[in-house]
Amino acid sequence: MKTRALKKRVDLYLAVVVFFFFTADAFAGGLAAQEVTYRLKWLFNISVVGDLWADVNGNFARRGLKVTVKPGGPERDAIKELELGRSQFGVASADQVIRAVSKGAHVVVLAQLFQVNPLQWIYRPARTPIKTPQDLKGKTIGITYGGNDEAIMRALLAKYHIRENEVRLYSVRYDYTPFYQGKVDLWPLYRNAQAPIIGEKLRKAGERFDFLNPSQLGIQFVANSVVTSQKMLAQHPQIVQRFMEALLEGWRAALNPANRQKAIAIVLKFNRETPAEIIRRQLPVTRSLMLPTADFQFGKIDVEAWKQTEQIMLAQKLISKPVHVENLLKPVAQ
Amino acid sequence: MLYEIKLHSNIKYIKVSPAFESTRTGAQGPMLLECKNINYQYPGSDTQVFRDLNGRVADPGFHALFGPSGVGKTTLARMICGEIKHFSGQLITAGLERILYTYNLERLPGWSSVGEHLQLNTPTSSRHRMDELVASFGLQGCMDSRFAQLSLGQQNRTNLARYLLQDFDLLVMDESLANVDEGTKEKIILKIKQMFPDRAFLYISHNVVEVAKFCKQVFVLRNFHKFPQAIVLEGRNYTGGPGVDKKKLEHTMLEIVNAL
Amino acid sequence: MLYRRLYQFFMIYFLGLASLMAIKYGLQLSDYVIPGPPEIASTGLRVSGRYLLNVLNTLAVAILGHILAIVLATGIGIIGRLTAWIGSFIRVAAYNIQAYPIVAVAPIIFILLGDGLSSRLLIAAMICYFPLLLSFVGIFSEPVPEIEHFFESTRRMTWRLQIKIRAFENIHKLITVVVGSATLAMVGTIVAEFIAANAGIGYSIRIALYQSDLAKILVALFLIGICTSLYLVLLEWIGYRIRRRWAIPEGGLK
Repeated sequence: MKTRALKKRVDLYLAVVVFFFFTADAFAGGLAAQEVTYRLKWLFNISVVGDLWADVNGNFARRGLKVTVKPGGPERDAIKELELGRSQFGVASADQVIRAVSKGAHVVVLAQLFQVNPLQWIYRPARTPIKTPQDLKGKTIGITYGGNDEAIMRALLAKYHIRENEVRLYSVRYDYTPFYQGKVDLWPLYRNAQAPIIGEKLRKAGERFDFLNPSQLGIQFVANSVVTSQKMLAQHPQIVQRFMEALLEGWRAALNPANRQKAIAIVLKFNRETPAEIIRRQLPVTRSLMLPTADFQFGKIDVEAWKQTEQIMLAQKLISKPVHVENLLKPVAQ
Repeated sequence: MLYEIKLHSNIKYIKVSPAFESTRTGAQGPMLLECKNINYQYPGSDTQVFRDLNGRVADPGFHALFGPSGVGKTTLARMICGEIKHFSGQLITAGLERILYTYNLERLPGWSSVGEHLQLNTPTSSRHRMDELVASFGLQGCMDSRFAQLSLGQQNRTNLARYLLQDFDLLVMDESLANVDEGTKEKIILKIKQMFPDRAFLYISHNVVEVAKFCKQVFVLRNFHKFPQAIVLEGRNYTGGPGVDKKKLEHTMLEIVNAL
Repeated sequence: MLYRRLYQFFMIYFLGLASLMAIKYGLQLSDYVIPGPPEIASTGLRVSGRYLLNVLNTLAVAILGHILAIVLATGIGIIGRLTAWIGSFIRVAAYNIQAYPIVAVAPIIFILLGDGLSSRLLIAAMICYFPLLLSFVGIFSEPVPEIEHFFESTRRMTWRLQIKIRAFENIHKLITVVVGSATLAMVGTIVAEFIAANAGIGYSIRIALYQSDLAKILVALFLIGICTSLYLVLLEWIGYRIRRRWAIPEGGLK
């Protein structure tokens, strides 16, 4: 009698353990929060406003996630961190993703943050009138050798049959002096983050400026996207789902014009170096690059743009063989 | 027996300075080296080296400064040649305008040979002595060598030779022959006496025999707590020729040892 | 000397590479994180010619910067020995300036001098200058009484002779410092190129980093190591010749 009762009790314990083992993922929200790390592409600035929003306003927490949002930087590579297990989610540019996949990395794209690449070229129409791409001939164009802007500009020149010897490519860094001095006609910058700062200086100097936007000229080179590892997606689809729902929700809220003041306050909280006035100007530009139309679905992956990005990289021998990037696009939360 | 050198009548007396202000006075006339009430302690130290130090040696010749280790011989030597200036009392160096001080650890620069160094650093007035000195010091074979290649004894002799070739009235030799064997040492001292009869030497040594035998006056420096701190004795002043009177030498040695 | 230096470098490099491979295969990392041997080899074949020219370009600037730093450090070291106060002032100033990270100072230099040769040269010189200066000030201010005493007491001492004595007496130290600072000159030039220049291997490394191409960086490190080793061997050989010529005349020993 006693033995049977004991056996029954052991069976019950086993059943409970097995049950919790298999349902731990689903219960995570209700029990202990699931901890994940999210590595951004760049430092805390306007380009990560939605990521910060989701963190600060509890979007992650409401879905049972405890997310550590880490700033990126020039030495940070989210894809490498995914592979090394230091992060579970990250932000990477399309060329990073394609390059990584071409070298055997198992990464998937969950959402595309920028619909229009913010990497554009500023110029002064008064001294450098550019009405058609052919007007680039004879101009001094700043590029960061090895950077995205090099790939984009080369693609643009190739598309419009402008030979490299018909323009002067100028290697640029963080110092804008050559542009201010007029040594360089077109200078690459991030349209949403840097243009309000540089534009302000030009405006003060009484100069007009404009931007060369490659996407308007048919060059779709995808910028920041949210990525995770294939393993993460396969083993923890629920976590990925919850993370993306929370993140996209955060982004939609941050870009909502009604939440403008709150969004600015969040960026200011994490980035005290940039004046509020600049952030106020950066926010609508960021919105227009991420939500090109009023009814646009935030985070949508532009498959054709990804394919074109891969083609550009193939053409420029930045990758040796096709990776069929369209197979890696997994918009789980849309 | 205590011995004091008599002062020559034409020495100019110098006004004694107030206590704890040093005066180092040179004057024309016969050679005289005199310490008057010298007090000194090392900067930043509580240890007093000299307390009312008095004593004098006079006239050209091979004199000695003798005393146990740590008694202040080198300190006094550096005061005499002007390297130490801040002491109280009076130091008279009459007739000793050019005082040089040499010690046994000195080295010649390593970039040239001994011969080149001597050629370059011997005043024209002493050039004629160079060969004689080199030969009598047994240094002919060292002229093409670098200083570092010489034995310790050769190094001592070379260093002393270059000083002897300079213009000086008094040469303070601080253990300058420390590493030289006794026979060679005797030859060298006798040669110095023979070559420089009109110059003064103050020979610092720990060897009571050589001090008693070769030196004219022996300035015995005693420990700080003894008074007087210095006693000047007469040495045998051996200049060569027939051997020195052993009894007298022993007597002098005894005097020196007793003075300590 | 040359072979020993080179094989020591090869040992260190290949040990490092082997450790990387152990991590790669141990953790099953993709070529994107750590490239495999075939990729490193093919990248080496593809870029080593171009990279070698870049390394030589960097090395040329490093050597110029190094010479500039030695000349400056000698000059200031000589001035620094005049009085204890000047010497200590120079030392304190050198320690303070040395404490500023070059990555913070470099942008100012590039704004003032542009991104050409002069900026690279200045940064290379700056990085190796301060260790040289501190050693030179120390050496030139430190008397060698057992040699200097004779010249002082016979009134033959001149400032040139004083420097000559102190330099000669510390020739081993001086050569060691000069050889050691050569590596710093190379590092300084690479850092300068990395930050803002448009030429040299530092610039190539930066581009490779943009492209997350570790294989290129490993090739660059290999070439930098070889060229730096060769430069160090050359300096050691010059130091050896100086010591031989100055300290002991050829065939003149007895």
